[in-house]
Amino acid sequence: MMQKRWRRLLAVFLASMLVLGACGGRDDDDGDAAPPDDDTPTDTADNGDDTDDTDDTDDTEPPGDPEPAPGFDGETIRLGVLTPTSGTVAVIGNPLTAGNQAYVDYLNEELGGIAGQYPVELVVEDSAYDPTTAGQRYAAISDDVVAFVQILGTPVVNALLPDLIEDNVIAGPASLDSAWIREPNLMPIGGPYQVQAINAVDWYFSQPENEGQVLCTLASDDEYGDTGVAGVEFAADNLGIDIAVQAEYPAPSPTRPAQTFESQIGQLEGGDCDVIFFVATPTDTAPLNTVLTENTDYNPTVLGQSPSWLGLFAGFEYLQENFFLASEGTNYGDESVPGMAELVRIKETYAPEQEPDLYFNFGYLQAMAMHQILEEAVARGDLSRDGMVDAMENVGTLSFDGVFGDYEYGPADERQPPTSSSFFRPDPDSPMGLDLVERDYEADYVGDFTFE
Amino acid sequence: MRAVLAPFGRGPSGGRPSRNLVLDYRDDLRIFPDRWARIGLVLLAFLYLWLPSQQVSDAGLRTLSTIGIFAIGAIGLNLLTGYTGQVSLGHAFFIGVGSYTAAYLGAELGWPFLVYVPAAALIGVGLGVVIGPFALRLRGHYLVIVTLGLIFLGRHIFNNWTSVTGGNRGTQIRGADMSIGPLDFSGLELFGTTYSREQSMFFLVWALVALTALLAKNLVRSRMGRAMQAVRDRDLSAEIIGVDLARTKVGAFAWSSAFACVAGVLSALQIRFAGADDFGLFLSITYVAIIIIGGVGTIFGAIVGSIFVVGSEELINQNSRSDWLGPLVSTGPTDAGWLSVGELNAILFGAFIVGFLLFEPRGLAALWFRAKAWFLTWPFSY
Amino acid sequence: MSALAPVLAVTGTDLVQNLIGGLALGSKYALIALGFVVVFRATGVINFANGAFVLVGAYMTYQFFQTWELNFYLSIVLSMVFGFLLGIVLEAIVLRRLVGEAPFTVIMVTIGLLFIIDNLVTAVWGAANLDLGDPWTGSVVEAGGIQIPHRDLWAMGFTGVVLCGFLLFFRYSSMGLAMRATAMDPEAALAQGISARTVYRVTWGIAGLVAALAGTTFATGTGSLQPGLGLLALAAFPAMILGGMDSPLGAVLGGIIIGLVQQLTQLLAPEYMEWAGRSPEIVVPYVVMIIILMVRPYGLFGTPEVRRV
Repeated sequence: MMQKRWRRLLAVFLASMLVLGACGGRDDDDGDAAPPDDDTPTDTADNGDDTDDTDDTDDTEPPGDPEPAPGFDGETIRLGVLTPTSGTVAVIGNPLTAGNQAYVDYLNEELGGIAGQYPVELVVEDSAYDPTTAGQRYAAISDDVVAFVQILGTPVVNALLPDLIEDNVIAGPASLDSAWIREPNLMPIGGPYQVQAINAVDWYFSQPENEGQVLCTLASDDEYGDTGVAGVEFAADNLGIDIAVQAEYPAPSPTRPAQTFESQIGQLEGGDCDVIFFVATPTDTAPLNTVLTENTDYNPTVLGQSPSWLGLFAGFEYLQENFFLASEGTNYGDESVPGMAELVRIKETYAPEQEPDLYFNFGYLQAMAMHQILEEAVARGDLSRDGMVDAMENVGTLSFDGVFGDYEYGPADERQPPTSSSFFRPDPDSPMGLDLVERDYEADYVGDFTFE
Repeated sequence: MRAVLAPFGRGPSGGRPSRNLVLDYRDDLRIFPDRWARIGLVLLAFLYLWLPSQQVSDAGLRTLSTIGIFAIGAIGLNLLTGYTGQVSLGHAFFIGVGSYTAAYLGAELGWPFLVYVPAAALIGVGLGVVIGPFALRLRGHYLVIVTLGLIFLGRHIFNNWTSVTGGNRGTQIRGADMSIGPLDFSGLELFGTTYSREQSMFFLVWALVALTALLAKNLVRSRMGRAMQAVRDRDLSAEIIGVDLARTKVGAFAWSSAFACVAGVLSALQIRFAGADDFGLFLSITYVAIIIIGGVGTIFGAIVGSIFVVGSEELINQNSRSDWLGPLVSTGPTDAGWLSVGELNAILFGAFIVGFLLFEPRGLAALWFRAKAWFLTWPFSY
Repeated sequence: MSALAPVLAVTGTDLVQNLIGGLALGSKYALIALGFVVVFRATGVINFANGAFVLVGAYMTYQFFQTWELNFYLSIVLSMVFGFLLGIVLEAIVLRRLVGEAPFTVIMVTIGLLFIIDNLVTAVWGAANLDLGDPWTGSVVEAGGIQIPHRDLWAMGFTGVVLCGFLLFFRYSSMGLAMRATAMDPEAALAQGISARTVYRVTWGIAGLVAALAGTTFATGTGSLQPGLGLLALAAFPAMILGGMDSPLGAVLGGIIIGLVQQLTQLLAPEYMEWAGRSPEIVVPYVVMIIILMVRPYGLFGTPEVRRV
């Protein structure tokens, strides 16, 4: 009897709640963005359509002051940063964010904000370099920002891409992964890893004294390692040389013990490698230096990619003599490049305690790219999600005043990343521990490399 | 002990005894034996339908769904560790298997929701049956370390079985079917109202929490469940009174990993990404922490523990710029705090584990039982 | 060795070089495993916080040597003293309350401590790579085409010294005897007038001391000091399990076996183990561990637990 009564009570309750709940429905997308992903959407096409629609409306009405939109209250533009501020990758996240912040401070203080009237504010969240955490943090702030100026980490960007596409939010990935180039919601800057690798190999073998040397690779066993190796293979094909040994080591992960390179170096030494293209993060550059320092019989040249560098390494003797770093731009503090002179001034003014740092520069340039897109969006009178994508597709060429190569933007299918690289060698007396060897080098055939 | 712990007999009223008495074996077996439990149930149903309405933001709902997903996995671990006494640091491996199952069967092959979720659970059962026998041979510490090894083995497989897992890059989960009959939980439409993904996910997850909790509750009251507890309390004695040790241990592993795989499926659907590094030791430890903090050997504790662990982390994240946390915590490189948000969270996480084990080893559930006992036995509160 | 080499298409020198590398790696694992064993023997606890002790030890050596500019060897000694004190303090504050609790409880407490200490370390020293600047890095001993880095020689030496120290200590010192007695039967030991409290405290102190030494040997090499070192303790688990958790000699042999297996896998995998996927060397120690445990559930040298009905 008792049983029946409480069941009836429950039923009445549930029914009334369903009615109540029904009023509480909430559509995912404020307005006209793409519907939730029902059947595996190939989103490029969808988004293209969407933005074409808004294009039309833009053309018909003259742009006025932008309407308030998510992250924009009519005065302040809020930009998200999802980056590890804790854990081992904070070494990279912190200077990146400092670069974002320094540029934004400059923008607000000296230019009065976007279009001289809308100051920019950063919302920094700790992603812990973990897709799950990043997803939580993304959900927490995505309704409150116009765009993300920095999202760090290939796994994190990968994990957030479906959300970015669904919400039609744009984000600046803080890595040079070429997979980003064709994603309509991402704002990559800088030449991809493959470009660095192609140019580095071509540059090295273009020097007469290096002719006939044996080329090898040493790469982490992950996607990042593969991108570098793909570039080396492309260059080797074009140069008509072989890659004698392709050595691998486990990519850094929360569970990998410290890396020692003894067997890999044995493998490379066995193949008589003269020059090793090294794809790594700083954690692994340190033990490589140790092993090569202690192996007095074998002194190969090492070509590294920009993420393998830390200022600390400038003091290491072996690297000083046998290491070249492929990156972009010029020496820190090179006054002959206007963008660099400005970067130094802004760093000294707004981030005086920050050490000169490659990642700081990258963060600074990301903010610079976002600045140009925001100016375009404000000029078009639309800071909404669709308006931002629209602005990114129509911004034309993103210029970095020579610190990085110009990046031709447009619809994602037509984007053209910069194709030149610069080469540095360790120098403890230089500000970033790096001294420029050659600037803006471009292999003849680098343009033939197709990004999927 | 049993009398106090078991959800009690009749409420204190009329001429009946003022304290909960178990008068009959059936009293012990009731899941919702008295009026208070029923009122609680109605309240929960109310919350279930009310929370996803406009009152809670999408971000908040996402947190609640995460809590629910952890609760399902933790219920599974509790069956193994709390009820059967087999300590496992390998739970994350099964969560990973579930996630990749959703990615491959659900998103890649496009199987329907009602097929790939049971499939994931069956895969879990299968793996449990394979791994369970190890627990027969190894005890205590050795078992802990072997289950730890499972995580490393799993990570290696996840990273190398590229056609299924996407390898090192991980795999995105886009467009997996999420419909049960006419209800599509990727964007629920009911009575002409459209719900957001977060709202729909909340409905789905917590419905499954209720389902798994009920299932687990029934399981532990069954012959199997009593055998499990006998094995936990003293496996030798259990064996002597006729409990089949092998069957019980393997069965516990199978149930536990089936639950974990379902939790993995849900987490894949929520995060829409699966990468090998997500299913590491840290996730396993989080699960163990949840059942310790919530209460080892209670279904209810697994849920409370998830609320506590996930909720406290979210609380810190949201208040990292507040007056009371601001000076301690730095939210970025230009902020002057001493610890980063992640560091503070990890330290608190560790401190909670240590604190609960030192001062309340039976977890939050024990606090609840104690409070309940205090009220029920009032004024004789001893 | 050289007879084997042509078959393997790996040169004999390579093989010997790698065996020595494996031996060095193994002795470092062994040092960590010894820290586990000393605690397990006396208290029956697997101390996950050992990883935190290793990390603190490495950073304290850096602190004494680089920041406070003391002599390097003095810095190691001071770091070991610090590790000893850390162990004693943790025992007094936390672990003392857990005597007699279920193993699982104590394991989880040490995991909790691991989280707390690891994150305090990054809060104090930051997450970036640091250079310990030890005097050993960069110099090698050469013999017959084989090069042995000084760092590795020191690591092997330390392991040998600590092992001998343990054996002598347990055999001849009264504290060592007290520890053995307590491990065997705490009540009987108590009845003999042995203070279990002192025994436990010294045990944790020794664990901290050995871990500090292990951490320092792992932090040698250019720019290799970083928070990830704390995870090495996980890599040393198979070593400890393999040898049997209560045998110092077993720990050392287990460490060396794991080090050799790992190094050889790394050497041979690119040629012969394509089926095993990329970088099998990470997972191989665990596979070896599981196989050996299936055959001998108490490790190679462990004491079987006698179960009486």
